[in-house]
This record gives sequence, C-alpha cells and structure tokens, in this order.
Amino acid sequence: MNLGTRAVLYTVRKWKKTLLVFCLLLAITTLVLSGLAIADAQEKQAEEVRGTTGASFTVSRNTATGGWSSDGGGSYSTQEYLTTDRMESIAAINGIEGYNASIRTILCLSDRQGQWLEQMEPTGHAIVDCQFYSYGCINSKYHSLFLSGAMVMCEGKTIDSSVKNGIVISKDIADKHDLKVGDTIQAVNNPLSDDKTMNLEIVGLFEVVADKTDERNNYNESSYYEYTNNAFVSEAAMKKLLENYADVGYASADFFVTDPERLESIIHEVQKIHTIDWNNFLITANDEVYQNISNALSDTGTLITTLIAVITAVSMVLIILILSMSVRGRKRETGILLAAGISKPTVVLQYVLETLLIAAAAFPLAYLSSRQAAGILGTLFGKTAENVVVTSQHFTLTATVGSVLLIASVLVSCIPVMRLKPKTILSQME
Amino acid sequence: MSLWKRACLYSIRKKGKTITLLAFLLVMATMMLTCLSIQAATETANANIKKALLGYFTINAKRLGSGISEDTVSQILAVDGLSGRHTLRSYSYAIYYDADRKPLEISTEGAAQVPEGYENAGKIVANSNSQEDSYFTDGGFELIEGNAITDASRNEALVHEKFAQRNGLAMGDFMLLGSVEDENRTRLVTVTGIFRNTREQDSIGIAPSCDLYENIVFTDLSTASFLLYGTNSKTSVQYGDFYVNDPDELDRIMAEVQEFPGVDWGNCILTRYDHDYQNAKESLKGLQSIVFIAIAVVSVICFLVLALFLTLRLRGRVHETGVYLAMGISKSSVLMQYLLEVFLAAALALLLAYGASTAISNQIGSGLLSQVTAQTYETVDLTGNIESMEEPTIDLGLSEIKVTVSARDFLIVCAFGMVLCIASTALAAYPIMKMKPKSILSQMS
Repeated sequence: MNLGTRAVLYTVRKWKKTLLVFCLLLAITTLVLSGLAIADAQEKQAEEVRGTTGASFTVSRNTATGGWSSDGGGSYSTQEYLTTDRMESIAAINGIEGYNASIRTILCLSDRQGQWLEQMEPTGHAIVDCQFYSYGCINSKYHSLFLSGAMVMCEGKTIDSSVKNGIVISKDIADKHDLKVGDTIQAVNNPLSDDKTMNLEIVGLFEVVADKTDERNNYNESSYYEYTNNAFVSEAAMKKLLENYADVGYASADFFVTDPERLESIIHEVQKIHTIDWNNFLITANDEVYQNISNALSDTGTLITTLIAVITAVSMVLIILILSMSVRGRKRETGILLAAGISKPTVVLQYVLETLLIAAAAFPLAYLSSRQAAGILGTLFGKTAENVVVTSQHFTLTATVGSVLLIASVLVSCIPVMRLKPKTILSQME
Repeated sequence: MSLWKRACLYSIRKKGKTITLLAFLLVMATMMLTCLSIQAATETANANIKKALLGYFTINAKRLGSGISEDTVSQILAVDGLSGRHTLRSYSYAIYYDADRKPLEISTEGAAQVPEGYENAGKIVANSNSQEDSYFTDGGFELIEGNAITDASRNEALVHEKFAQRNGLAMGDFMLLGSVEDENRTRLVTVTGIFRNTREQDSIGIAPSCDLYENIVFTDLSTASFLLYGTNSKTSVQYGDFYVNDPDELDRIMAEVQEFPGVDWGNCILTRYDHDYQNAKESLKGLQSIVFIAIAVVSVICFLVLALFLTLRLRGRVHETGVYLAMGISKSSVLMQYLLEVFLAAALALLLAYGASTAISNQIGSGLLSQVTAQTYETVDLTGNIESMEEPTIDLGLSEIKVTVSARDFLIVCAFGMVLCIASTALAAYPIMKMKPKSILSQMS
C-alpha cells in the first residue's frame, strides 16, 4: 500500500479524530486571520481619529523680512501676498485635504427689493445696521470660526470654489428676515460709492455656539461685530464686489492635511516649491490637538498590536501541542508500521501528509468563515467593523506560516518515537 | 483505590500527557488574562485621549457685580470629573501712571477715537497664565523679555515694547495701575516682562485708543480683582475655563456647578467647548469597539479550542474507560476521576498563568509611551522658514497606562475556565459512558 493511500485511509477510518483536529485547526486559523484583520482595522481607525484633529499649517507673509511703509492709518508691511497660483501649487502636494484663505470686508446686505437687512441688535442708524462682517472664502468649512467650534453649520452647505455666487449667513438673521436656503439677497461693499451690487444665493445657514460676549474673543477686528452679523461669501463673488480695489491676494492661508502624522514631511515638501520665495513667507504648523492625543493614541495602537501578537504566538503553541498529542497517541501504530518493514521516513511522511490533508480543508474554510464572521461583526458594530476585512494577503501569510509550522511540529513530535526500535515500542505498551 | 489516588497516579504516570494538558491550559489562561489586561489598558488610553481633547466649559460672570469668588472656584474644582486644569481671566481698563503718579503716554496712532477719561488708559488683561491668553495664542503676541504672568504672580505687569520705549520703562521698573472709575484705587506693579506683536492689528481705524495693541497691559488676577472689585486679600475673577476629564460628562458637571449657592447663575453665561472631542468622538468609539471585537473573538475561539482539545484528549482514553468499567468501577466515579485530573491541571495552570501574564503585561506596559518618563521629542529642522514650534509641552495630567492583571479578571478567567473544563470533559465522556464495557473493549482498534 503506498504512502498516499495509507494517509487517506487513516484519515477516513479515524474520521472522528480527523474531525476534531480539523475543527481545532479551523478555529485557530480563524483566530489568527481575524487577528490580522483586526490589526489592520485598528490602523485604519487610528488614522481616522488622527484625521479628525484637523491638523494644518499656515503659510503667511513674513512681515519681518519685508519692508514697512506708513500713511495716515498707521504703519503697514509691504511684503508680497499669497496669490492664487502660489496657493494652488501648495495645495497640489499629496496629502493636503483642502485649504482656505479669506479676505475680510464689511458688506451691506439687502433683500431682493433693495431693502437693507437689519442686524440682530440694531443701533438705529440705517447705514450701520445693515453692515455685516464678511469673509470671502475659498473653502468656508476650514474657516477658523467653524474649526474652533464657535459656529456650526445648521442648514445647507458650506462655501467652496464650486459655489460662484453664494453666501452663508446666520440662522438668526435668516429667521429675522424670513430668509431661507435658496433665497437670493444683495450685497455691496460700499453703497455710497460705485461699488458693484451683486445678487448672492443663500447656500447655507450657521448657528452660533461660542459666547461672543466672552472678552477672550476681543483681540481683533471681527470682535467688534456679533457672530450673528458675520457672513461668508464665495471667493469669486467677493472679487467682483471688490473689483474697484486692487486685488493683492491673501495675507495668509491655512492648508489642512489628511494625516497629521505626515504634517512635518508635507511641510518639508512645501518648502521645496521653488516658485515661491520662502524668504517672504512663514510656515507655522498647527497640530496642537494631535500632539495632545498622539501619545495616548499610539499607546492604543501598541496595545492592540501586542494583543494580536500574543494571539498569534499562542496559536502557534496550540498547534504544536495538539499535533504532538495526536502523534503521541499513535505510538503503537508506529511500532506496527515499523515492524511491517515500512521505513521511518515513510511513516513520518505519512503523518505529515495526513496533517496537511486536514489543513488543506481547514485553511480555506477558515478564510471563508472568518470573512463570514467579519460580516456578522459588521452588522453588530456598524461602520467600524466594516474595516475588519480579511484579505487574501492575510490568508496567504497564515496558510504559508501555518503549513510550515504543522510540518515542523509533526516532525518534532515524531522524534521520541522514531528513535526507538519497533520491538521496544511494542513491548513498552500498556 | 480511591478516586483521588487514581487521578493523581494517572497524572504522574502519564507525564507527557499531563504536561501537554498543563501547557495547553497554561497557554490559554495566559492568553485570556493578557488579553483582558490589555483591554483594561486600552480603556485607560481611551480615557486619556478623551482628556487630551480638552473639553471644557466657560463661566462668564462679567455681569456679576462681584465676579466669581475664590471660594466658588475651589468649590467648582472639587466637582467630580474635573481634571483640575483651569484658566481664570479678567479684563478691565486702567489708567497708567509712573511710580510718582505722573500719567504715562499711550499711543493714539490709528485709533478710531480716544474716549473721554481714557487719555492715559489702556486695556488690562489678567490671566492665570498670560501665555494662554488669546492675544498670545491667536493674536500673535510674543514675550521678548521677562516671564509670563502666572497664578503665583502678584503686582506684576507685562507691557508692549513700544509702550515701554515711549515711557522709558524697563524690566523691574514700577508703574501704577489706576481704576478708571475710582481714582483712589491704584496699585503699584513691577514690569516683569515686555512683549511685542508679530502681526499687524487688523482693527486699526475701528478700535478705540485703549484697545490698541501698544496700550495693552497684562497683569495678575489679584491686581485685576482689586481694580475691578476693590478686593484686597481675596481674588475674584470675571471668567473661568474649567477642563473636564471626560467631555461626555460636561452636561452633568455644568448642571451640578449651577446648583452652587451664593452665585447669581441666572446672570452668568455657561458655554461648553468640546468641539475637538465631538469631531473625534465617532472614530474614537470605533477604536474602542475594535478592541472589544478582538477580545470577543479571542474569548469565543479560545473556549472552542479548549473544548475541542479536551474532547480529543478523552477520546484517546476509550480503551482505559472500558477497562475501568469492566473492573466494576462506577461510571460516575470514572467521570469524576477524569474531571479531577483536568481540575488538578487547571488549578496549577491558572496559578502559573497569573504569574506569566503579569510578567508579560509588565513587559507590554514598559513599551508604552505614557510610561516613558524621559520623553524625547523629535525636533523639526527649523532652519529658515518654519516658525519655531518650541512651545513647552503642556502637562495634560494624563494617567499612566498600567497593563496589569486585575484580581477581577483573574477570577473571571478562573470561573469560566473551570466551568468549561468540566463541561467539555463531561460532554466528551458522555458518548463513551453510554456504552457497555463489552462494546467499548470490542470496538477497539
């Protein structure tokens, strides 16, 4: 009887034992596969957490290296500004999610009929009461007032470069004047000059969260306006509104990165852009939130990775133990086979073959069952568990390492039996 | 031969088998204990992340005649769930004099107007840490000489470099801060720092003279309290920012604070700030459930493997069982013997596992960042254009993540392990026990 036939016959004859070993292998392989999938999911999830910290860097004019000039309104810097070209060349770098820069001005807003829109708490002077502190934004969702949580969008969408003639105003103002998303209002920079009046569509409304009366917020110009009297206008519209004034560009722009871990390397890349004279601009990294949590976050990562490592190591030990037990239980059989004149290598090979036969069935099934398990977890835990995906790489890795481990442990378990003569084996039986 | 004796003798006689069983149980128990200790540690890590996202609430008591008193502040800080980190702030205006009570000159260039009575006055900003004031954090101010004002400062002032130049003030000089309303209320302060603004003031032309950057003076809370409320020994403040450990608890804590007597809460504005946490909340939960999934998967499979292993082991003893039964030993006592063998091995394995997993846990713990005391921060190459990021790292008071096997976890693993050992042995023995000794012995291969 040849080796292969013997192995198959044994496996079939001892089907209960085969089934048990099969189940064990299946369970352990599923464990390792899920472990690997979980380790990967953890990495994705941690990246997502890092992404929510909103890390960015600011490119601003370096007023220290530029010249200064002064007129009646005080002294001002003559340093060059950030142009659209410059900002786009920075934003083109891989890993930058978006950017924002804004121009501030005070706009007078009116409804379609030209009736001035009144502020929340009017002073009684019509020309002052229709003034809104307005930002012309490239991407208003990155505006510091929204990022800091001082305001949140409650209706509609934010302004980005796809919005040509849009405006975002506060919900309070909209309610006061019976306006809603989709309505059109008019805006003009200075109604007493020949500045252009434009029709703007309300694309979104914001709500004020922060306490504006807190004097902490009173360090700049915007502090003289209530948050409810702020407005955000699309960049294109703002340029038209201000076409009577020189378009100098932006004093600073904020660039937001997808993964704060890469912030440093992205900044280095940005500095290599030679079309920008970096002597005239400063780069400041803003990743305070990420810095605060990074240690605790990477600890979580370390812990989960260790967990998976422990699981994998334990699984290996278990496989060795199980196989050595099953080989040890066949001492008598080994003796008989050897007495029947079958060579030692052939006997060992038969055992290896039997194990591999079981593994050949268990491994693919484990792949399927762990994918199935991931699906069940997906329905239980929602979005997170969807990240737990058993990939074919995981399977290849597990199957390869698993097979090597199986062969090795059968070989090692056979050593004590194989060293003995058939006579000794058979005589020492109980 | 008694049951006990048989069980012990079998365990000793079959050394190999006993050791395999022991090793198996040991490995399983160690894995479970280590997993549980890791899970507990990730909970600490998660709490640390929540804390580091710095959720806080602000009490704006500007409208109260006497502000927030020192006693109220300590009462609030005693509320369960506060991290202890807090910032107290007051804002006012003061007339500036030199030590001889001669008015100092302020800048009026670019001012929208010079309000009456404020010809020599400017804005006073008091903060329990002047470096954390919005002028420094968001307005681009930087200290060029001296030290920041802290909680411990008394009668100190930071002035703008231009203001110092204009009035010939230098570090260590004295100046008087006088209340705008009550000219007898003055306090002598020492100039302990000089700052400058790195960005232009954008409110030129809108701001009154007293709000111009050059006319701002930073002082300590006690001085501001004296100027605002006339308090001498006690310090009251206008604003307080109180940080919490868990931003999810903000609502509860704020409600609790508003029940303290002696403060007219109706005239205070309490605002919660937990934007960073709200952003990260969902993703953080995801991270936590990944740990949970891992533990769940490990536990289920672990128990499955254990049950299978014990079954496999018992199946190898069919012959032995037949002999016992043929000898007239009752089925129940054979079963008891098998259980006892597993039990003995399990007891030993669990004890060893406790030691092993504690050792492993310590090893894991020492690799964590939170336990690395001498933190080395990578310094960015700042040559040229990246503005210095050398801000001192704030101590967030995060708890050390300890990876330890708790007694509770040990008991859980013990209880479940024992139950499982017994159940799976009994279950595996059931088909054998059902058979007659004769059929057992005859069906042997």
